Amino acid sequence: MTEDLVVDVETLREQVREKYREVAVAPHAEYHFHAGRPLARKLGYDAAVVDALPDPAVESFAGVGNPFSLRTIVPGERVVDVGSGAGFDSFVAAAFVGADGRVVGIDMTAAMLAKSRSTATQMGHTHVEFREGFAEALPVEDGWADVVISNGVINLCADKRAVFGELNRVLRPGGILQFADIANGRPVPPEALRDIDLWTG
Amino acid sequence: MLEDAGFTDVQIGPPVDTFAGATGEEKAHAYEVFGYAFLARKPERD
Repeated sequence: MTEDLVVDVETLREQVREKYREVAVAPHAEYHFHAGRPLARKLGYDAAVVDALPDPAVESFAGVGNPFSLRTIVPGERVVDVGSGAGFDSFVAAAFVGADGRVVGIDMTAAMLAKSRSTATQMGHTHVEFREGFAEALPVEDGWADVVISNGVINLCADKRAVFGELNRVLRPGGILQFADIANGRPVPPEALRDIDLWTG
Repeated sequence: MLEDAGFTDVQIGPPVDTFAGATGEEKAHAYEVFGYAFLARKPERD
């Protein structure tokens, strides 16, 4: 289902990579969105969980909502975090699943992967890992996940049908998709949809 | 689109003005862009 894509997939990916490389290496610069601990507080994350995380796990957080607000992750669950960035939501999920659970974060931005892997090592987490990949082709076996989470990522993907197909594929039957993303109340003009700069801010 | 992909029991949380106070606020408000939490289930059987 690629015939109705309004932007070039690879061009969009390159612009998203560059934007989030900046967020990884310069988390305190000014962006068109909020980031870090103030954003986590604004979105209503569990303060005890967030306060326990080291700064590198939180400072590059740039989500748009709270994927844990409608359902809490259960201890022992296997979680996939699509577009894990510097790992914030993965580390929050890791706190919920505990040592008997597993969290796999997936991201396409090298700087974010380096940061999340370094933080996991710093935290001594052996039940969290980060893999390189695209939301449209997740490096996860069929039916592995009890839960898929994501935060502010699907809106940045040109082929949303492919993404939702992948989320469905990696979930076990009866599995849960809980994510946060943006939606617009007013229609965006076609010329704006084709303006790739607007996709990344 | 969630239901088209095979998900059921879709729930949507209240809107969050996620860009309020950020430099992207004006553009977000122009198109009434808000953040939402979504919850959905993959059926036990397809």
